[in-house]
Amino acid sequence: METEHTIETPHQRQNRHKAMEAISVLNALKEDFKFPIQSMGYFYDRFEKVYCHHEPLHEGKAKIGTMCIQIPSEIIYALDAVPIRLCNGFSTDDEIGSDLLPQKSCPLVKATVGWFASDNFFDKPDITFSPTTCDQKTKAGAIIESFGHTVIDVGFPRTKESEESRHYWRESVKSFAVKLSKFQGKKLTRSNLERAIKKVGYVQSLYHKLTEFRKNKAVPILGVDMFLVTNAFFFDRIDEWIGAVEKLVSELERRANDGVNVAGKASPRIIYTGSPPIFPNYKIPLIIEQSDAIIVADETCSSNRMFNDMAAVDEWNLYDMIDSVSDKYLKGCTCPIFTQNDDRIRRIIQLVRSYSGDGVIYQAFAGCQVYEMEQRSVLAAMEREGIPILYIESDYSPSQHGQLTTRVEAFVESLKNRKRKKK
Amino acid sequence: MNYFVGIDIGSTAIKISVADETKNLVGYKISASGSMFYKYAQEALSELLRELGIDEKEVVYTVATGYGRKLFKEADENISEITANAIGAQQAAKEYGEIKTIINIGGQDSKAISLDGEGNVVNFAMNDRCAAGTGKFLDVVAMNLEIGVDELSDYHFKSVGTPLSISSTCAVFAESEIIGLLGNGHNVEDIVSGVHYSIAKRIVKLVKRVGVKETIYFDGGPALNDGLVNAIENELGHKIFVPEYPQITTSYGAAVLACDAFLSESAN
Repeated sequence: METEHTIETPHQRQNRHKAMEAISVLNALKEDFKFPIQSMGYFYDRFEKVYCHHEPLHEGKAKIGTMCIQIPSEIIYALDAVPIRLCNGFSTDDEIGSDLLPQKSCPLVKATVGWFASDNFFDKPDITFSPTTCDQKTKAGAIIESFGHTVIDVGFPRTKESEESRHYWRESVKSFAVKLSKFQGKKLTRSNLERAIKKVGYVQSLYHKLTEFRKNKAVPILGVDMFLVTNAFFFDRIDEWIGAVEKLVSELERRANDGVNVAGKASPRIIYTGSPPIFPNYKIPLIIEQSDAIIVADETCSSNRMFNDMAAVDEWNLYDMIDSVSDKYLKGCTCPIFTQNDDRIRRIIQLVRSYSGDGVIYQAFAGCQVYEMEQRSVLAAMEREGIPILYIESDYSPSQHGQLTTRVEAFVESLKNRKRKKK
Repeated sequence: MNYFVGIDIGSTAIKISVADETKNLVGYKISASGSMFYKYAQEALSELLRELGIDEKEVVYTVATGYGRKLFKEADENISEITANAIGAQQAAKEYGEIKTIINIGGQDSKAISLDGEGNVVNFAMNDRCAAGTGKFLDVVAMNLEIGVDELSDYHFKSVGTPLSISSTCAVFAESEIIGLLGNGHNVEDIVSGVHYSIAKRIVKLVKRVGVKETIYFDGGPALNDGLVNAIENELGHKIFVPEYPQITTSYGAAVLACDAFLSESAN
């Protein structure tokens, strides 16, 4: 007999798949760890609202898609629009994108392309700006454009040190500002840009306040929770995000005073680096923290790299401000797409030192060539410094969980042994 | 009058179908396989014939199928459950339409079978190794949730939250996951629908390996679970056809084959 059920549309099916992915990670964050933080509730709810209930946050606002962190959010906010960072962590979208890109592509890029291919958004960007960072992102922009979406390339240099690069990037940012200003029908002015720079600067200062607590011996917040907080900034209403983080800062202050430690007594302190963990692909960070280690700092573009360096403005006039903002996104960036990337190594070592790290875990997405390639120099540098490091390649598939857990556990145990012997 | 018997000895249940010369189903019986397949199969058959008022001599041809088919020595012939399933589905759905794809979930395995227009098996795929995502798995889930297997469907449709996926469809590991979810206060409805979707995703992968072609026919005991049917339809994005007695399709196919074999033998 024929059944009487109505069948889900492809969008409904994708939404259910994404909701199922999202809820299982949110449940793990909420339920698998001791001493939950009350003010994290805002972030759990926000992710559930967006990814399980598919509710838009920015109706009536112009939404500007960004393909990488290099598109200055200061300029977007100044022009009264909302940046939506399109780096995607869903395995559902990765599967959709897999049909459109070569098999060995980066899962993050595949997921972003898959997202556009299915055209299934909670807050659909009206226009997308794509900085020409890695090859895959650069080409993905063109593929997304072929689906009928407006994508504008923003030329980004591959060398960081030269004066020509700096000049080229400043010009790119100016041209981006002009295009966005035309699109919005609004003028970028001294006052609206200054306001936006100060607001984003405040956001960064909040981030730094949060990370300070992680230097403590008793760590009051999990690394996975921190990833969720910074990840929310990809799409959240900025003022609500600020309010929630302010609450989080004061709760962490109280916890720090009370000596609350979310880690175990012997938990090794991990510095996380490599391909960005983007919700709900928290596979590796979750395994690390479920294996009795604690992530105390990270060097990734979904978190630290997004907030670390502030725009340093000398003269608060329009062109100086644009130049300072541009420099922040080039000079401060530790992305492995650059020819030379000693900055990244220095940053990792500095994080190990200032956060008393016991070891580094370096994740590369299988198919993310630049991270895979830079593995060699980072591993060599860590060896020179006597810093233990574990290199893991993974993708968005829900399998391999067992093997990954065994590898991480073995590394964590070796760090614990080192610690014991030192004592 | 001549009758034809198809007997399907599976891991969990013995299914027997009796057909007449026009290949109509005249009766069937389902009983547990238990520990002594052969004995139980013989007993179930005699009982069924008695109920139907058919003399044993009237049974002119018997075909055995299923895992335990070789244990049933009295059979005139035995065939694989894949062939029998294809024939049974074709016959059972003949008034409905041409069956191109069969999904079968049994006690301890699951299959997807692709058929041509004439009911011949073109391709098939089976789950590898274990009882992951099969009828046995549903039994274990229901037991852990302390509900009956026949209640799973109701719970599925009552679920209003996001289905809670079970990452392991291994019956052993899923048990600890389910207990964990219950311990954290998640409701049974969302766990049940999550379990159904986990199984559905798995089976749809098998179906995609052989190709999704309509009409799609779903049989085996778990097809009685309407919630699972709904989950598979959603994952596939296609309607599926569930026969009136989903458990006996394969034994019915064996009975139909018995009839064909007898008629062609007597024609020669």
